[in-house]
Amino acid sequence: MKIDRDEARRIADLAHLEFDDAGLDRMAAEMTKILTYIDQLREVNVEELEDRDATATPMRADEPRPSIDRELAARNAPAWRDGLFVVPKVIGGE
Amino acid sequence: MSDLLDLPWTVARDQVSPREYVDACLRAIEEHDEKVHAFLHVVSGAAGSQPAEGRLPVAIKDNIVATGMPTTCGSQILRDFVSPYDATAVTRLRAARASIVGKTNLDEFAMGSSTEHSAFGPARNPWDLSRVCGGSSGGSAAAVASRMVPAALGSETGGSVRQPAALCGVVGLKPTYGRVSRWGLVAFASSLDQIGVVTKTVRDCAEVFQIIAGHDPLDSTSSTQPAGDYTADLGAGVKGLRFGIVREAVGQLGGEVRVNFDAAVDVLRRGGAVVEEASIPTIGYAIAIYYIVANAEASANLSRFDGVRYGHRSERARTLDEVYFDSRGEGFGAEVKRRIMLGTFALSSGYYDAYYGRAQRVRAKLRHEFAESFRSFDYLLTPTTPEPAFHLGAKTEDPLSMYLSDVFTAPANLVGIPAIAVPSGFSAEGLPLSLQIMGPHFGERALFRAADFFENETGYWKRRPQL
Repeated sequence: MKIDRDEARRIADLAHLEFDDAGLDRMAAEMTKILTYIDQLREVNVEELEDRDATATPMRADEPRPSIDRELAARNAPAWRDGLFVVPKVIGGE
Repeated sequence: MSDLLDLPWTVARDQVSPREYVDACLRAIEEHDEKVHAFLHVVSGAAGSQPAEGRLPVAIKDNIVATGMPTTCGSQILRDFVSPYDATAVTRLRAARASIVGKTNLDEFAMGSSTEHSAFGPARNPWDLSRVCGGSSGGSAAAVASRMVPAALGSETGGSVRQPAALCGVVGLKPTYGRVSRWGLVAFASSLDQIGVVTKTVRDCAEVFQIIAGHDPLDSTSSTQPAGDYTADLGAGVKGLRFGIVREAVGQLGGEVRVNFDAAVDVLRRGGAVVEEASIPTIGYAIAIYYIVANAEASANLSRFDGVRYGHRSERARTLDEVYFDSRGEGFGAEVKRRIMLGTFALSSGYYDAYYGRAQRVRAKLRHEFAESFRSFDYLLTPTTPEPAFHLGAKTEDPLSMYLSDVFTAPANLVGIPAIAVPSGFSAEGLPLSLQIMGPHFGERALFRAADFFENETGYWKRRPQL
């Protein structure tokens, strides 16, 4: 599988990662090499195989339970005011 | 008291007070860690939190949270993070009167096989400081091998406990998926992740594992099956037990790793084990499956690091999008970005079926082949790693060659079975080599039995690196 700069940019946008052009080119080359190795999976006959484990993760009851105290959460927050996380203006910002 | 730290934990704990034991560890860290760099954080008396009660001084990998301690995951993005809660494994250790003496170095977010991807500099192999200690739980393995702590917790996704344990000459256990709670283990690949144990001896490993194993309502993937009595079969030998040598994994091996492996098999045979060839035809695809499945899950799990709720936020971000892109761009290292990119690609529209879907199907085939094999065998055998510890820098420019370090360990994670790495001797250059024993789901008790027999017959754990 060949990844070019444009494809690497498309993936980077989906992944919320910032790269310059040189970084995108390097990433595209590395991804191409790794995906070429991974492409050997095409040799395997996977007809009649399930793509998930038969034993599903059990669900717990959807009941409220105590969570981390707000003041404790605030200690790790990059920006915090009045019990809320602060972010730049989402609508009508720069 | 360095002699104390040469003893297995299960022997030493009865010879000194808890305080003396912890102090001996802290002194050993003070003496050796400047060279080894196994620790990212050490509990100090000055911080007022020096443990006094500990019967078990233990180090934990810095992607497992403990209240009031940093959890960096070896990443700039979490360099200032201090956990407000304990992982369940830590809660259980505390209940058993363990003392956490420090947090160990790791590849960033546990992504790597050499600890060179730590944002805070690599840990080094105590047997040869110019070589890697393996990874990603390299700090945990190096700390135990250097006799700085008797035991450490690591985490496994594709071999991250067993591979560094092998390269450092110590015992490493990867438990059955679901046997140890993942609550408080920072998520990398949730269908593969499992907390594991590093110790000098198999008995120590079994006893530490006994403490942390069991169901946890906070982790819905943790098994409700009761934990076993993991020391019950120690000393029982291997007479009549059936071992399979995985033909597709061992067949092409040459050199001293092969010679060492064959010698290890002979030890089991002499003990009365029945050893025959086993076949897992799909095992050669494990790394290809792994790097799709693990990275796909990682790309989703690491989306939580967005500069909003915790972790690094870029100073230059002016819009919400810039908070996301710049914080992640500045906070994540090259390997983490590479894996997020690969995982995002594998899950993206147009490629999902061809990559993620196909990898999951081949994984199902692998699972089926292992299950079939365990109808004929009690255990499966391979070397733990294809080579002993390599030099720092030898693989950092070639990610794929680094990935292949996990060729023998990744299958157990993909299939969910337990596996143990036990020291099997030394290379001509004096570097540790290791035998991997795999068992069926929830077969830890039997794994300890076989590994304990091998250890008693060989005694390689007694040799220590000269620092």
